[in-house]
Amino acid sequence: MDKLIADLKEQIIEQLNLQDVKPEDIGDDQSLFGDGLGLDSIDALELIVLLQQKYKVKLSNAEDGPKIFRSVRTIAEFIESNKIPNA
Amino acid sequence: MYIRAASNISPQNTFGNQPLLQELAEYTGDRLSCIEPDYKALIDPKLIRRMSRIIKMGVAAGMDCLHQAGIQIPDAIITGTAYGCLEDTNTFLSKMVQQNEEALAPTAFIQSTHNTISAQIALLLQCHQYNNTFVNGGASFENALLDAMMLLYEGEASNVLVGGIDEITNNSHAILKRIGLYRSQPVSNFELFNTPGKGTMAGEGSAFFMLSKDASDADWAKIDGVSSFYKPRNTAEIKQQISIFLQSQNTNVHEIDLVITGNNGDLRNDALYGQLQQYDFANVPAINYKALCGEYPTSSAFAMWLAAHEIKNGTCSFVPESEEIPLKKVLIYNHYENIHHSLILLSAC
Repeated sequence: MDKLIADLKEQIIEQLNLQDVKPEDIGDDQSLFGDGLGLDSIDALELIVLLQQKYKVKLSNAEDGPKIFRSVRTIAEFIESNKIPNA
Repeated sequence: MYIRAASNISPQNTFGNQPLLQELAEYTGDRLSCIEPDYKALIDPKLIRRMSRIIKMGVAAGMDCLHQAGIQIPDAIITGTAYGCLEDTNTFLSKMVQQNEEALAPTAFIQSTHNTISAQIALLLQCHQYNNTFVNGGASFENALLDAMMLLYEGEASNVLVGGIDEITNNSHAILKRIGLYRSQPVSNFELFNTPGKGTMAGEGSAFFMLSKDASDADWAKIDGVSSFYKPRNTAEIKQQISIFLQSQNTNVHEIDLVITGNNGDLRNDALYGQLQQYDFANVPAINYKALCGEYPTSSAFAMWLAAHEIKNGTCSFVPESEEIPLKKVLIYNHYENIHHSLILLSAC
């Protein structure tokens, strides 16, 4: 899980082109939207694409989005519980 | 209408409060690229991360122009661009191919539309006023200018932000080079007119103007008129168009203190200007501005920035014999690929 969280932080920074943000600046449980990292709805779409591309994990129910994308840890947990074996 | 403020990001050092083109930038090859400012000082870093180069160039010049004019929310934002946000378009289309049209990231697609720059400025300002973008090849900037003029004359707006923006990308440069627009042999922009040949040098830029209906003490210059015409049959028709335009502005060629022309070093392109400069404008000091910014469809925005700057300074710094002549009227004549031709007349306030 720790490795996945570390990878996700790097991938989020790269995919969203977060300027002057380093992986260590993002807390595992830090809120990604609103007052936390300040991401918005376009970033949410980018994150959905990221999960699909890198981890072959699809978000089937949009209403689950806020819960899944609350923090890097919740994203990692979602990936762990939904990844296809050997994908 | 009056030019209250102007801002220009170009291949020369034109951005910010600095003397007019004091040190010229030399480029050797077939391409002039913009000298870009530090955007972090001008745009919120949270917003910069999604912006491609042309969007940053457009937003920075637009915001700087508003800042100079001391206007927070303009009554309208109008831009002209022939190619729009090419880099984003390229990213989006490339990913469509690479990823077999699956799982496409949204940002490049959202930002790839031609009206992204005027929209981004409006979003930054929370400006819900008139917002329009003209995409009409070499007449895009002129169309934007005419729209602004109509809004101002019809009383729909008191101040309008107008910009002309285009970028070169590696792909667009390669395609336009393949169809013969650019030089096959490297050339210096300083020697562009001394070594005429086939093709020119590619250029790009982002020039914005704050235009106002009413005069003020801070105005750079007055725009008397704008005219554009399409695919003239011959030089006689061009001469006629110029004559009609000047007559409509109650002036004639003898009252023009400076003509800024769109010569670009391409023999096919410059023949038209040559005839005019030899006869009609024979006694009028001239500047060929494309050695400074290169050739691109909205380069007349650079020419208008140069004209406004020269008028603001009061004399023509580029033509030594004219340094002492006070500038009252400046005519810009440009054509892009002999398809879209335009005339812009500016005068001192």
